[in-house]
Order: sequence, then C-alpha cells, then structure tokens
Amino acid sequence: MEENIKLEKENCPTETDQDQLENEERALSVFASEKNEDLTALTLVLIVTFVVLLFTKWLA
Amino acid sequence: MANSDVGRPSNIPLMTISGLLLLYGVFVMTGLFTPLLKSLHVHKQIDLMEVLCFTAAGLGFATALLRQARMNKPMTKRDIYVLETIPGILFIMLLAMGIRWFLEPVVGIVSVQLVPLLGFKIHKVLNLNYVVLGIIIGIIITNTWGIPKFAASGVKTARFVLKMGVILLGARYSFAELAKLGMVSVWMIGFFVLGTVFFVLFLGNIFRQPKSMTGVLSAGMGVCGVSATVACAPVVRARCSEMAYTIGTILGFGILCMFAFPTIGKIVGMNPTQFGAWAGTGILNSAQVAAACLAFNAVDIKTLKVGEIFNITRVLFLPVIVLVLASWYGRRNGAKLSFKEVVVDKFPIFILGFLLLFAMSSVGLFSPPGHYKGKYLDFSYNQRTEVTPEELTVLENAQQTGIPGLDASEEAAFADLIRQHQIAGDFNDRDNKEAFDATARKRMAGLESILARAKGREIVISGEVKSALTHAVKQVHKKSKTIVTLTDAMIWFFAYGLIGLGMQITRKSLAQAGGWPLVMGAISGVTKAALSFIVVMYFVRDVVLK
Repeated sequence: MEENIKLEKENCPTETDQDQLENEERALSVFASEKNEDLTALTLVLIVTFVVLLFTKWLA
Repeated sequence: MANSDVGRPSNIPLMTISGLLLLYGVFVMTGLFTPLLKSLHVHKQIDLMEVLCFTAAGLGFATALLRQARMNKPMTKRDIYVLETIPGILFIMLLAMGIRWFLEPVVGIVSVQLVPLLGFKIHKVLNLNYVVLGIIIGIIITNTWGIPKFAASGVKTARFVLKMGVILLGARYSFAELAKLGMVSVWMIGFFVLGTVFFVLFLGNIFRQPKSMTGVLSAGMGVCGVSATVACAPVVRARCSEMAYTIGTILGFGILCMFAFPTIGKIVGMNPTQFGAWAGTGILNSAQVAAACLAFNAVDIKTLKVGEIFNITRVLFLPVIVLVLASWYGRRNGAKLSFKEVVVDKFPIFILGFLLLFAMSSVGLFSPPGHYKGKYLDFSYNQRTEVTPEELTVLENAQQTGIPGLDASEEAAFADLIRQHQIAGDFNDRDNKEAFDATARKRMAGLESILARAKGREIVISGEVKSALTHAVKQVHKKSKTIVTLTDAMIWFFAYGLIGLGMQITRKSLAQAGGWPLVMGAISGVTKAALSFIVVMYFVRDVVLK
C-alpha cells in the first residue's frame, strides 16, 4: 500500500495540486468566517449609507 | 483564516505609498494639478481626491508607526487582521485612484482621438472602463512582478469590498421600475433569467466542468454580468480565475451582440419596443444594451428606455438566482438540503443587504420612490425649472414663424412650454399630482420627440430652439444627490475589489479553467438570443410599458 502511494507520488507530479492550493489560499479572506465577512460588509455599508444620507439629505 | 506566515514585511513600502498619497493631495490642494485634471475631465473630483489622499496617507503613517513599535514581537490578532492588512489596502487604493483618475480618462481621450482612424470609439466597443482596466492591471501585476509581500494580506480584502459594492447596488433601483412593466414582460424576463441559469448548469454537466465554474457562469450569463458574477461567486465557492473567465465571456459575447443585434433588428423590421425588449433580454452588460439600442434607433427614445428597464429588471432576480444556486451547489455536494437550510442557512447575508438597500430605495429614503438610478422627474412649479427669458423669446419667435412638420401633440407641448415657461401639467390639476404629472409627461414626450426628430433630420429647427428645448427638458430631470454619492461609493468598491480579484488570477489558474467556459457561454448566449428573438417577434407589441 505504502509502496503504491510512493509510486503514485513519483508518477504524478504534485505541482498542479500545489498551484491549486496556492490559488485557493490566495483567494481566502482575511475574515475568520463567511458570516463575519458578510456582517462586517453590511455594517460598513449601513454606516456609509447613514453618513451619505446625513450630509446629502438631512443636513443639506 | 488570515495568513500568519506572511511575517512582518518592512515598513518602507507603506511609508512610500503614504508619502505619495500625501504629496498628491498637497499638489491637488495647491492647484498645481488643476490644468492636468481639467484636461482629463476629472477636476470635479478634486474635493474627493483631497479627502481620500489625506485620510489614506494619515492612516498609512499611523499604521507604519504602530507596526514599527511592534517589530520583532509575536503576532497578535490585531496585527494579523488590522495592521498587516492596511499596507495592502492602501496599495490597492493607490492603484484604484490611478485607474479612476488617470488611466480611464486617458483611455477615453485616446479612443476619441482614434475615431477618425477607426470610425468608432474603441473604449466603448471593448468596454474599457474601470471594471476591465482594474482586472487587467491586477492580472499584469500578479503575473509579472507578483503581489508585493507587504500587500499580500491586504489583497485578501478584495472579496469583502466587492460584497460591499453588491450591497450598495440595491440603492440604485426601486420597485416602481418593476411596476412599470406589464406582467407578461416580468414573466418573460424571469423565464429567460432562470432558463439561462438552468441551461448553463446543464451544459456544465455535459462538458464536465467544475461546479464552481458552472455555477458562477450560469449566474453571469443569466442575470446581468459582472455584479451577478460577484454576488454568486461565494455561494458556489468560485475561484478568482473562474470569475475572470465569466466576466471575460460576458463582455466578449456582448461585443459581438452590440454589432449583430442592431443589424438583425433592422433586417427583420423590429419596432423600437421590440428591439428594446430583445436587446434588454439578450445582451448582458448594461452599457452594451444602451449602445445596441442607440445603434438601432437614436431617434425614438422608447428603444433605450425599454432596453434599460428589461436589463435592470434582471438585476432584481439576483436573490432568486442566489437561492437556486445555493440549493444546487448544496445538492451537488451530496448534502440533502431542506428549504430552511437553503433559505435561512445558506442564503448569503450580503444579498439580504442588497435587498435591504433596495427596500430603503423603494420606499423613497434616498430619492422619490419612482426614481431610476437616482434620476427622477419633478414637474412642480419652481422658478429654477423655468427656461430663461432669452430662451422664451427664441421659442416665441419660432412659434410665430412656425415649425413645419410638427404633429398635434408636439405643437401642443411647444405651445404649453411658452405659456407656462416650464414643462408642467395643467395649472387647474395642480392639487391632483397624478393627473398633473401625467399631462406633464405627455408634454415632455412631445418636446423630446421634436428634439429626436430634429436629430434624425426629419424636421428642421434652429440651434437656439434646440438649445432652449433641451434646457427645458433637462430642468425637470432631477438627480438624487444621495444616490449619486452612494453610486460613487459603489464604483470605488467595485474598482478596489476588481483590482484585488485580478491580482489573484495567475496564468496557470486561467490555463486550468481551459476554454470550456467560453464555449458554454457562447452556446447559452446564442440560444438565449435566438429564443428571446422568437418570443419578442411573436409576443411583444407596443404595450410593454404601462
């Protein structure tokens, strides 16, 4: 069994896998989870919207 | 998960970027760059340039100081999530500024200069706006010098910022636009959006493509191009190269459609409404829909209006498509998902944000509820809405001399403009807003028709009359400052996100995706164009808009 795995590794270069991993790693977010990312995005947008409303509508 | 293996790169690049931003802000503030900015037509953004540059530079210097104090100390969560991401954020911001304030205007100017040689504006045809330029710059950087080490962490904020852009997209539309379409049209749009999504998923199965690629391509081809691609990518866990392929396929297919649609429409003798409906259904990118409609008929404004409404209505199907793809992706992964799991657990919160902003926009928080992209009509009596006394004299003289070729409604609209000095309804109806606005709309349509027919050389009017009529029409078209500002913010978020997206696309990752997305996009695009052509020819008549 171990020999088979060893042979497989020798025959099939893992470069593509490494590239794949690298790509996926690069695409990762700085956030701990998708939910955190979405909630932060929504919160920031609501803050932006409030500030824009404040200066372009309510105080204008 | 944040990358803890990046280490703590030197502070020099961050200081350099901050210095450059500060220097640019000072040059803009002192007026040194004003002639250059005027020649690039970006001088109206001088205030924004100062605010952005000084804020970013201040943030950069403060971060550099904090990082310096923490050099050679173990990384904490604050270091990983905040301090180490800011250099990259500022790096992408600098690139976004370069694209929005310099590269995009320069490309436009060069394209206009090339018109005598080429016969068309190449930047319009190839859609060389900040979306495409941002992705290209990102790809060039990552495939030549590579992502600088100091920026590696910050580049990972791109997807997050793109989501902010998608949420803000909701503010541009209102439910009133949907209500303007008849039920037949809504069914037609819904059928083609969902039909295309399922067709691409089916093709993906046949061509044995990864489900992330198939999922994101189906959203892009079915809904509305770039924003749908961005919105659906997290749902199907699409990689950046797959998003880039989808955006490329959509824009490439749109370029072909821009030339083919008007020619075909003219050959088969479509009326303006039919062509607007066909272009709005068959072409994906909004700018390309507008270009095709104007190429088909620059005289009848109805073509463009119908095309635009069909096009934006597709955007409103976005949450439905997200649901469909979330369910499909879950099932394809072997999990049996219940309705609750799809709707409650898998539905992305940022799409709820899009719906929230759409709802806020529809109730009139940002602009009167009937607005479209922040634009609305205001016929109320107001001195600022009137034509100038000089323009009034010009119009009176033209009326006395007579304009040959005007029809009854155009003549009535012209006479009323002289009587009321502005486009308005009947004075007696002023307390009944609905009736007042309906009459005013008719009068505005009459004046627009005069201008359009003059442009198409069906009638002849003097330059002064044309200018007075254009001014009168312009005066009742108002723009919501709130939506204009929110749209500006959205464009910046997209510009930022797309540069970051481009930076995650390596040549190898594009090669891995192969050419199949293009084949699938072409098959589904042509099928949709052909089927919608048949539907439009047989079922759509003049009464698309209520």
